[in-house]
Amino acid sequence: MQDSYKIISSSILYWFSQKKWFVFSIIFALIFISLPTPIGLSVPAYHSLIILFMVFILVTSEAIPFPAIALLALVLQVLLGVAPADVVASSFMNDAVLFVMGSLMFAIAIVHQGLDIRLAKIIISIFGKSKRLFLAGLMVVSAVLSSFLGEHTIIAIMLPIGLAIIKNVDSSTPDGKNAILLVLFSIAYGTIIGSIGTPSGGARNVIMINYLQEFTTAERIDYWGWIQYAYPILIIQLIVAYFVLQFAFPTSLDNVQVQGYKRSIAKSNSATNIRHLFSCLIIGFIIASWFLFNQELGLGIIALCGVLIFMICGMVSWEVINKNTNWGVILLFAATISLGFQINETDASSWLVGKFNELTSFFPEDSSFSWSFMAILTGLTANFFTSSATTSLLGPMAIELQPNDISFGMSAAIASGFSFLTVISSPTAMIVYSTGLVSIKIFFRVGLLMFSSSILILYLVSKFYWVTL
Amino acid sequence: MNILIAIGGRKYSKPTLDLGMKVSNSFEASTTIAYVGKKISQFSEKDVSIVHQNLDERQLYRPGVRTLEWAYNFLKSKEYIQEEKVTTFNDYLLIDEEQSRMRVLLKGKHSNKINLILRTGEIIEQLRSEVQDNDHDITIIGGGNNKGMHHDLVQFIDSSVLVVKNYSVKKQYKILLPVNNSKGSNKAIAIAEQFAKANKLAVEIVTVLENKSSDDKLKKILERTEEKFSNAGIKNTATVLEGNVVKKIVENAGDDSIIMLGVSPKNPIMKYFFGSKPISIAAECNCPVLVAK
Repeated sequence: MQDSYKIISSSILYWFSQKKWFVFSIIFALIFISLPTPIGLSVPAYHSLIILFMVFILVTSEAIPFPAIALLALVLQVLLGVAPADVVASSFMNDAVLFVMGSLMFAIAIVHQGLDIRLAKIIISIFGKSKRLFLAGLMVVSAVLSSFLGEHTIIAIMLPIGLAIIKNVDSSTPDGKNAILLVLFSIAYGTIIGSIGTPSGGARNVIMINYLQEFTTAERIDYWGWIQYAYPILIIQLIVAYFVLQFAFPTSLDNVQVQGYKRSIAKSNSATNIRHLFSCLIIGFIIASWFLFNQELGLGIIALCGVLIFMICGMVSWEVINKNTNWGVILLFAATISLGFQINETDASSWLVGKFNELTSFFPEDSSFSWSFMAILTGLTANFFTSSATTSLLGPMAIELQPNDISFGMSAAIASGFSFLTVISSPTAMIVYSTGLVSIKIFFRVGLLMFSSSILILYLVSKFYWVTL
Repeated sequence: MNILIAIGGRKYSKPTLDLGMKVSNSFEASTTIAYVGKKISQFSEKDVSIVHQNLDERQLYRPGVRTLEWAYNFLKSKEYIQEEKVTTFNDYLLIDEEQSRMRVLLKGKHSNKINLILRTGEIIEQLRSEVQDNDHDITIIGGGNNKGMHHDLVQFIDSSVLVVKNYSVKKQYKILLPVNNSKGSNKAIAIAEQFAKANKLAVEIVTVLENKSSDDKLKKILERTEEKFSNAGIKNTATVLEGNVVKKIVENAGDDSIIMLGVSPKNPIMKYFFGSKPISIAAECNCPVLVAK
């Protein structure tokens, strides 16, 4: 009897120790719901902010699975009277959610084709003359591809190339360790930086385009329009990143084997060649469609078309896509986008912006201050909360700061792509960290330099270049 | 008997593996060496899994396999593993057994029963699940200065726990065996007897009196244990200490003892919020400590 009591209480304690943040978030919500609604805020708006805070705690602590957080956010919106069930359901699905779903599936289909060897051959033939040039090439190719196909796709393709060339590097010597870090960071920073370049580079970009269309009267920004805003930043960031990494990881690159790797991948067969050719045609067709038909069809539908073609051609099976798609993330993004819409609809975002303006009233009236605050806030939040979720929740507030100036919304979306500080901030960072070759401390130390310089680049470009567009 | 040895980075895992295999050989136990990889955020878990599948297809080492290879070679060099046929680590199979657990199968025959396991996730959660699913009797893990982790290990792992703190392969150790009237203490006595016999170690049996009515009982247990060890031909001393239990045991242990003591019989809820003597000893001592359950 006593033993079974001990087993039960030990199990309850273990559950509590694992789910303590969930319990705290519930207690927090109950306390705030029982308090009087703040002046100037409607009850639904107040409740939407309480749900926002709960979601923030639960996502950062990962106390319960993501699908459970998504369902909780939806259920609470209805139960706490934020919006009726029909409204919540209709805000749950839009092009941004379809894009998240389509891009995740499209990435799986592409990675399944084994294009890394083909890509490695191309990079070596163009940049293979010296090891440093090869690393610069890896970074540039990662950035360009990631700007169109998303960082989660490109890191999965590029990492095996990076790990293959550092296979024989001795990590116990400082020079070897730096060589490993230089190769891995070149790929990681290339893909992270690239993801800001086009709307299809990251779900946050598509989310912001949708918000700008819904919440402002400004003309809808299209695929090419986004590139005009973001690509100059991407190019400057790449140059800065190259030098930051050379400075952070000085190495002779002695045992990095570019030519050895070239010899090991020299063989190819015609069946693989045909498969690769078809894959490249499909990818090219989808990117062209994003350029040409994004206004009419939406980016999400076009991404789903890509998946459809791969499946119909028998180049990837549903089983592979179903097994590897992160359905939890899709549900979570859908729920946070729905919550973002309600925060805006209930005027909770206007109230927050009003409070922010009250707090900063003693500063000189200069939009640069509120711009900097918003860019740094979204950039930092994204490093602890991931970029897409940050944009979906803080995006409406960024737009509300200057509803007639899209540079606030654009800056918030782009700054949330500066996931240089933490390993949880983006799939790229987490994948590189999961190799066990990069520590959290090193990621933060180098990332701090990159993050600060990226914010500065964004500020200068928005101040002096965006105004000319 | 099943023994689980959890390893992390190579730098700190040598002492854990060495002491772990000594314990394992003492009991002729089946041994599982588990590498617990970094916890992956839910946002990226599928992306990471795709990349790892890609690495397997390209015959590039999946994270953790290199550490297991190093551990395997270390055990071979120390002759903890005897191979009937030369096996190289290049020839391995990864068997995806369940979510976040993979078995590394080496081709070739081994005389010892050694399992190599890769796990990914939060360490306490993974070890708890490994122990529950595979009925391990002792979990052996390297000890850092993370007191919170010692607390959680003793509290939540359903097996005896050996925390390998500040252990040197070259140093001569004795066993420090604090005894009392708890069930866990009896288990600790049994483990200490077997381990001391197999490794020819001296045992210092102690009991700490706190001016309570149970003091006489403790003295009798001390005498009985001393007799038991003497009859088994194990070199031992028996000492009665007085004062604060945690302080006295930590002082007596120094850095050349392996403390073996029983888990506290206290209610788990009380232990969680207020701690217990074995948890405090594990946190404060400067040597390996085994908490028997």
